[in-house]
Amino acid sequence: MSGDGECTHDDWLTRALGGERAAFAVLVRHHQRAVYSLALRMLSDRHAAEDLAQEVFLQLYRNLGAVSSESHLGFWLRKVTLHRAIDRLRREPRHEVAALSEAELPASEAAAGDPILDGRLRRLLGELPPVARAVVLLRYQEDLDPADIARTLRMPVNTVKSHLKRSLAQLRERLTSTAGALT
Amino acid sequence: MSEDMHDDLENTPLERRLRAALTPADPPPGFVAGVMARVAAEPAAPQRARRSPAVVSWVAFGLAASVVLSVLLAHQWQVRRIEQGREARRQLLEALRVTDEKLDLTYRVVNAQPRAALPPHSGA
Repeated sequence: MSGDGECTHDDWLTRALGGERAAFAVLVRHHQRAVYSLALRMLSDRHAAEDLAQEVFLQLYRNLGAVSSESHLGFWLRKVTLHRAIDRLRREPRHEVAALSEAELPASEAAAGDPILDGRLRRLLGELPPVARAVVLLRYQEDLDPADIARTLRMPVNTVKSHLKRSLAQLRERLTSTAGALT
Repeated sequence: MSEDMHDDLENTPLERRLRAALTPADPPPGFVAGVMARVAAEPAAPQRARRSPAVVSWVAFGLAASVVLSVLLAHQWQVRRIEQGREARRQLLEALRVTDEKLDLTYRVVNAQPRAALPPHSGA
């Protein structure tokens, strides 16, 4: 491979598999936003999210040989991030009540739409049980369909649909009880 | 649960709001450097665990060849067993035929002896 500019993500993966750390750094840079966002929305804590995201990439480095392609890498990262976050929430339930306040949100997150309503939605999301939260994040943040969510979280598709339906009803109810909007 | 339940979930105002609210967040500056510092502390570089397509095809070929060989050997063994059975049957029939001939010969010899040679019948 001659020029770095010509490399596809699969090329970077192959080079990282060959032990090239710079290539691994490219993979981290490419996927850091997705992994950190999932961790942040799951844990509602910036430091915990950063720590978890770093652990996920470290686990990736140790198990890079198990990843077969760039698309598999995305799937692997989502799966490991969410399972680790769910495990951490079960071990340390304090994260469940420590939802991010609107003031803690970065400017990029509160840029469009109604920042107050968005912040309230994110806080209500943080009150959902960990697995339901993961399902909602995969659906509305990662834009996965129920079949892909089921594969990622290793659960039946109907369970995914139940989680989505129940979570949406719960969010709607809590939101309308406080704001009277989005019926 | 019906399939159209999924359709019910699409494009409600709440879902549109959720999509807008859940835009990805940027990690703090220095995140990649932090990851790479932890990677640098790892004892060894990752090993390529996945096999190349050539290795995979050779493994598949080897497996297929051993299966075919096993089937052939089993077939040979079965054919030999059948032949051994036939040979045993032929030898048994031959032995029966020889025995039959000997018995027949003995019977004829016994019958050909003169009755005078037999001891007189006493007690009349």
